[in-house]
Amino acid sequence: MSAAIRVRGLERRFGDFVAVNDVSFEVGAGEIFGYLGANGAGKSTTIRMLCGLLAATAGAAEVAGVDVVHRPADVRRAIGYMSQRFSLYLDLTVDENLAFFGGAYGIFGARLRARREAVAAELDLGALGAELTGSLAGGVRQRLALACAILHEPRVVFLDEPTAGVDPEARRTFWRLIRRLARAGSTIFVTTHYMDEAEYCDRVGLMVDGRLAALDTPSGLKRELAPGRMFEVHGARAAEVAAALPGATVEPFGASLHVRPADTSADAATLREALARRGLAASVAETDVTLEDVFLRVVGRTP
Amino acid sequence: MSAIEATHLRRRFGERVAVRDVTLRVEAGEIYGLIGPDGAGKTTTLRMIADLLEPEAGEVRLDGALGYMPQQYSLYGDLSVAENLAFFREMYGLSRDAFRARRDRLLALTRLAAFRDRRAQALSGGMYKKLALACALLHEPKVLLLDEPTTGVDPVSRRELWDLLHEFLAEGMAIVIATPYMDEAARCHRAGMLDRGVLLVEGAPSELLAAFRHPVLAVRGDRDALEDLLAGDEDVLAYTPAGARLRIVVRDGRERDDVARLERAGARTEPAMASFEDVFLARMRDARSAP
Amino acid sequence: MNASLRRVRAIAHKEVLHMIRDARVVYLALGLPVIMLLLFGYGISMDVDHIPIAVVDHDHTRASRLLVEKLVAGESFVVAARADSAAETEPLLRRGDVMAVVVVPEHYQRDLARREPQPAQLLVDGSDGIVASIALGDAVGALQTVGPAPPPLLARFNPAMRSAYNFVPGVIAVILAMVSSLLTGLTIAREWERGSMEQLFATPVRRSEIILGKLIPYAALGMLQTLLIVTLGSWLFDVPIRGSLLLLFGASALFLCAMLGIGLTVSVITKSQLVSVQVALLVTMLPTTLLSGFMFPISNMPWVLRVIASVLPGRYYITALRGVFLKGNGIGVLAPDLLALAAFSVFVLAVGVVKFQRRLS
Repeated sequence: MSAAIRVRGLERRFGDFVAVNDVSFEVGAGEIFGYLGANGAGKSTTIRMLCGLLAATAGAAEVAGVDVVHRPADVRRAIGYMSQRFSLYLDLTVDENLAFFGGAYGIFGARLRARREAVAAELDLGALGAELTGSLAGGVRQRLALACAILHEPRVVFLDEPTAGVDPEARRTFWRLIRRLARAGSTIFVTTHYMDEAEYCDRVGLMVDGRLAALDTPSGLKRELAPGRMFEVHGARAAEVAAALPGATVEPFGASLHVRPADTSADAATLREALARRGLAASVAETDVTLEDVFLRVVGRTP
Repeated sequence: MSAIEATHLRRRFGERVAVRDVTLRVEAGEIYGLIGPDGAGKTTTLRMIADLLEPEAGEVRLDGALGYMPQQYSLYGDLSVAENLAFFREMYGLSRDAFRARRDRLLALTRLAAFRDRRAQALSGGMYKKLALACALLHEPKVLLLDEPTTGVDPVSRRELWDLLHEFLAEGMAIVIATPYMDEAARCHRAGMLDRGVLLVEGAPSELLAAFRHPVLAVRGDRDALEDLLAGDEDVLAYTPAGARLRIVVRDGRERDDVARLERAGARTEPAMASFEDVFLARMRDARSAP
Repeated sequence: MNASLRRVRAIAHKEVLHMIRDARVVYLALGLPVIMLLLFGYGISMDVDHIPIAVVDHDHTRASRLLVEKLVAGESFVVAARADSAAETEPLLRRGDVMAVVVVPEHYQRDLARREPQPAQLLVDGSDGIVASIALGDAVGALQTVGPAPPPLLARFNPAMRSAYNFVPGVIAVILAMVSSLLTGLTIAREWERGSMEQLFATPVRRSEIILGKLIPYAALGMLQTLLIVTLGSWLFDVPIRGSLLLLFGASALFLCAMLGIGLTVSVITKSQLVSVQVALLVTMLPTTLLSGFMFPISNMPWVLRVIASVLPGRYYITALRGVFLKGNGIGVLAPDLLALAAFSVFVLAVGVVKFQRRLS
């Protein structure tokens, strides 16, 4: 299957400032691709170029088969875009919003009706047609925004922080639907600050200062960039633990500490012993390494 | 007396009840997480504690001066870092020496010293929030309320904000932080999960996880096939991807049957840890389905 | 310095920084008065010169020639055509080639000597009312100096009836009303919309301190505008300042407080920049332009409007300005107007403070 998104040496300069520097990657059809990075690292600039909203100053990019660098206007038909701010009209009903966005993509009449039904079924919006968008709960509105973005059956869907602030139930439903879309062949490109959401992705790319600093599956990234294990230590102070375990990174976490020992082979028992030898009677339990740890390691501010 | 005592707060806006009955107590040196999605009532609760909103019912008692950091961008974008700090100094009436000492310390902790002449609107999101925090801390409050300080902020800046908070916790400050990120409950001494104006559950993070009675498993196998299998399984309360595996939450008591079923389908399972989102979801479902 | 004053000063200082850093404010505040002044002064003129006339002289005597000379001696009229009969001038009037026709009757000189003067006729194109009435006035003035007749009426205080004397005070009032209320209308609502008001209320600052602190820089700006218009007005258009400058600026300061107060109060109540601007302009600029006596005399208005005009500050300010500029009136005469302005300011600012909700709803 051809790649849904192919980016090679993409660059964007603003005067002397290089916002996106030699970025290359490929996203396969049906893949859920996560894009992480600090604000200002070049994430939004990259997405805007892929959506045909901003011209690239160098490099090549192909989205859904369209050469987006040379024919940006053509890519709009092939992509869907859902922004964090949900560009929905709160004073229109669900059906009216769908009709509007359908119309914007050139979908009318019978085709609109068919797509509306299909999308409403796929995203569980069935009975809500006549409801005012403004009166819907956050999670439902989010699904409606997604619905409006996929009416024209785009091959690639861009999601910009799609689940910000939504309750966990709605978030999980949303991601279930996203995975359903992906299995049906849509490629999903999502940016997020929720680290656990990044875990839902097949692969994750990390942008740092305009460069793609890392790209792999979540587990691959963790293995590669944050090797070793993470432990939760309860009952001792950070300074004491740091002294007892030279080279370890110690971070306060509420009433406990997250500790990553320098010795990657150490386990809970070893640590407990090391602390006990210093007279510290602390409880030690293993905990998960997160993508946040990866992120921090990549950015260079290692915990 | 606790540093913060808010009892049975209630507030409605027109027809909608934003905060139904919230009670929380925070001691000095403690950080309390008010965790919940949009619309749960976090901002309304914080505003009532900060005396920016009058509660319909309930009482608030604070032991010491208050610092507040609202959710919106609340500083003056066309003023520089230094000018913003100087302005709030005048609002709090700080003496020159007190201000200088405090300001220098805050600029060092927030790593904004090099940017003191930069306009606030030219700061990155994370830096802006650090500045907002610095402005709220200028007058050395004993109590600090933060409304979603880490929302939309990248992990690096987020961790820096947390480090900053821990600095001041050590000095005896009481902090309440409202956040939609469930996993931030782990960083608090105690957390309260808020949904639709009611605290679903409250306690130390470890207690919240320990009290979660449904077993959690990490399952490795063909993810798509597994999802189909699990979608129809009544005993599986939730399943989410976690890297290459699936995390599933099984109904209490049904673990053994489920493991057997999964292994028959060719998957391998092992116990995994519950997440705060699991806790929230379970409680939320119970609360919403209750009569 | 006392804590409250410190806070007022800090708010005023911050407002000055905002003003300076938003170039539009400066252009609006200082550019607009100059533009309006120039427009009124050079563009829109109520003085009409060089009106083309036709002369029909049936007498052809020295006296009739003298009459015509007197008419064109001032700059008001220019002889554009001569005709032998009034009927001949009809097409000229129709086409607009001339605006008026002077018809000197036969035997004009002879009748003048006999002390039974037959008046000359002036036919004026009435289709342009303003020009017509000015032409009429000018002509009557000129013609009356010719024979034994009562002395012409001079317009006292404004003998040449220069329109500049009229509009400069008016422009000051309208500019102050418009710019002040606009800028202050924005400032509080903007802080609400952006979210900084919420942060501000978490500090010990009081509502009155916020209002006062924001008032001061805009008042200073308003005084600068007044100075600008007064200076330009007297330099470019020779408008005299016969009264005390102190009184002039004093009255302006009071009017400013009233206008700023309206802007602030509207901003406090609506909390929306968009609505603030519309309401503030409606409530300040329109009344100041239409109901202050600037363009239309209040005494001619129906009683409802007269009542409304008497409640609004515009009318008192225009009276004070005209008094100082043109009549040289002192505080004795103007005291009631100044008091009215002061009372209005205090009232509207008090409403603003009271309506300023510290708590979010």
